[in-house]
Amino acid sequence: MKGWLVLISLLAGALLLSLMIGQVLMTPAMLWTGLWSGTGPGALTLRVLRGPSTLTAAGAGAVLGASGTVFQILLRNPLAAPDVMGFMSGAGLAVVAGVAFGVLLPLPLLAAAGGLLAALVVTLLSVRPNGAQSTFTLILVGIGVSFFAAAASSFLVTRMPPQEAADAQRWLVGSLSARSWQHAAQVWGIGSLLFLVLAVQVRAMALLELGDDLAAGLGVRINRARTGLICTGVLLAAAGVAVAGPVPFVALMAGPLGMRIAGVTQPGARLTAAAITGALVTVLADVVSRSLVPGLQLPVGVMTGLMGAPYLLWLLMKEAEAGEL
Amino acid sequence: MTENEVSDAGLSTEALTLAYRDRVVIRDLSLTVPDRRMTSILGPNGCGKSTLLKAMARLIAPAGGHVRLGGEDIGAIDTRALARRLAILPQSPKAPEGITVADLVRRGRTPWRGFLSPWTEQDANVCRQALEAVGLGELADRSIDELSGGQRQRAWIALVLAQDTSTLLLDEPTTWLDLTHQLEVLSLLQSRNRAHGTTVVCVLHDLNLAARYSDHLILLGPSGLVAVGPPGEVVTVENLDAAFGLKALVVPDPVTGCPMVVPH
Ligand SMILES: Nc1ncnc2c1ncn2[C@@H]1O[C@H](COP(=O)(O)OP(=O)(O)OP(=O)(O)O)[C@@H](O)[C@H]1O
Ligand SMILES: [Mg+2]
Repeated sequence: MKGWLVLISLLAGALLLSLMIGQVLMTPAMLWTGLWSGTGPGALTLRVLRGPSTLTAAGAGAVLGASGTVFQILLRNPLAAPDVMGFMSGAGLAVVAGVAFGVLLPLPLLAAAGGLLAALVVTLLSVRPNGAQSTFTLILVGIGVSFFAAAASSFLVTRMPPQEAADAQRWLVGSLSARSWQHAAQVWGIGSLLFLVLAVQVRAMALLELGDDLAAGLGVRINRARTGLICTGVLLAAAGVAVAGPVPFVALMAGPLGMRIAGVTQPGARLTAAAITGALVTVLADVVSRSLVPGLQLPVGVMTGLMGAPYLLWLLMKEAEAGEL
Repeated sequence: MTENEVSDAGLSTEALTLAYRDRVVIRDLSLTVPDRRMTSILGPNGCGKSTLLKAMARLIAPAGGHVRLGGEDIGAIDTRALARRLAILPQSPKAPEGITVADLVRRGRTPWRGFLSPWTEQDANVCRQALEAVGLGELADRSIDELSGGQRQRAWIALVLAQDTSTLLLDEPTTWLDLTHQLEVLSLLQSRNRAHGTTVVCVLHDLNLAARYSDHLILLGPSGLVAVGPPGEVVTVENLDAAFGLKALVVPDPVTGCPMVVPH
């Protein structure tokens, strides 16, 4: 209980900071006045300047955090996450390709298609001749697919007109600049829906976590359940990519971090904690990336990358020590 | 009672062939597991004990033949309905990080719970009884990671007890345990069998313990079934030689009178 309180207070603090900090500092009092009067600099900040992007950041972080936890529970490995395994780069590639070739589909659909395709490729490529599939092969193949998709995106970007290319490049790193209420509504709407879909599958998840044989013995149709969970996980990641680009490492970090802070172990609680932590990490990274260099707005992905890369290295070293690598 | 009625009551195999791809592990096996009794599957490493047990729980589809539960082909039973009738504990399961004993055992109730139905008094009672049956009532809130090997094994058994099925399959529930804990686990399964009439099927490696605790033995060898029947008939010098290539003496156990194996 105390853990949840800590987590929620941290998120509330981060949201407030994100609304306060920018080119002009807004005090909480100004924001408060703006909220109730609907006029003045406080109101402008809330309604136009920082409100939508803060909410978008929180929403994107939440769906990414939940997505990472789906794969971490399913594969029982802290390295499993849509960013590490290429689903997010796949979604990013689909979006860039869509823009480059003028495909007139909504971004979330493009991202979802790319993410699902990447997941399918990773799954198929990691099947061994004898039909077995190890978690580790899956993750390594995912890293490979991730590099491939990122390279293909970069290639497409070089073929774009200069201004478009600059925007696309920025988006590919993961960016939250100039987000509108539409972005916020989109990620929160799709995210809430996917959360409901996930809630229905939580019991099956809790059994799959015990291993396939036990899960099957406890009445789970494992192939169906796993496919459902993978699709939900990929779609969650795609919902995040559609509004914020393939922001790296949020999905990887949020789950383990949230689990520790909230002190929970059950899948439903882990997913919730991961969503809150994902929002927290993303909002904080956004605040820092906006205020680190005065007058310059770094893409949020640069910040999450700076935070996440050391974590990934630490995780790899830990796994290597435990003999898992 | 005719032969047919006996096999209709419980678990049986009929011309069962099990294979991994082209590698046949069990060929044309027909046998009946006596209902409401304790049965042990014995045999050397790699002879197909786990494979047979998994097929009995429908975790592996047969390459030929059938597994029947109560006369029905097990492949035709609805997944959840099967999970309410038969539970399986696989060889060396792995617990999720940090999970408590109580949380683990609660997951055993899943087949009995409706789609969105809340946790009921009945569920709580069954879990409490399962924990008490394995002697972990006091340690329910402990994390599995903090338990000894024997306690951990008993937590897993509590999980399948909470599943509340009339048939219980366990793959090597006593491996890694010291002798006292092996006896403890087998006694607990035996008292479950005696008190609830649960049909228990275990894969075991210790011949003497199997002979002591089982009503019925299935002895597999490198090339298929060697013998099946009550311990007195199965544990013989010839059968041990055929299954294990083991030269041994079989004498009555001084404590129970069951057959006891003394290797040369
Ligand atoms: N998933 C699998 N794919 C291919 N072959 C397998 C598989 N599982 C088991 N086998 C093979 O099938 C044979 C029987 O295996 P099984 O696990 O049933 O043996 P076992 O009698 O339980 O052995 P142990 O006493 O060592 O547990 C072995 O030769 C094994 O190598
Ligand atoms: Mg085995």
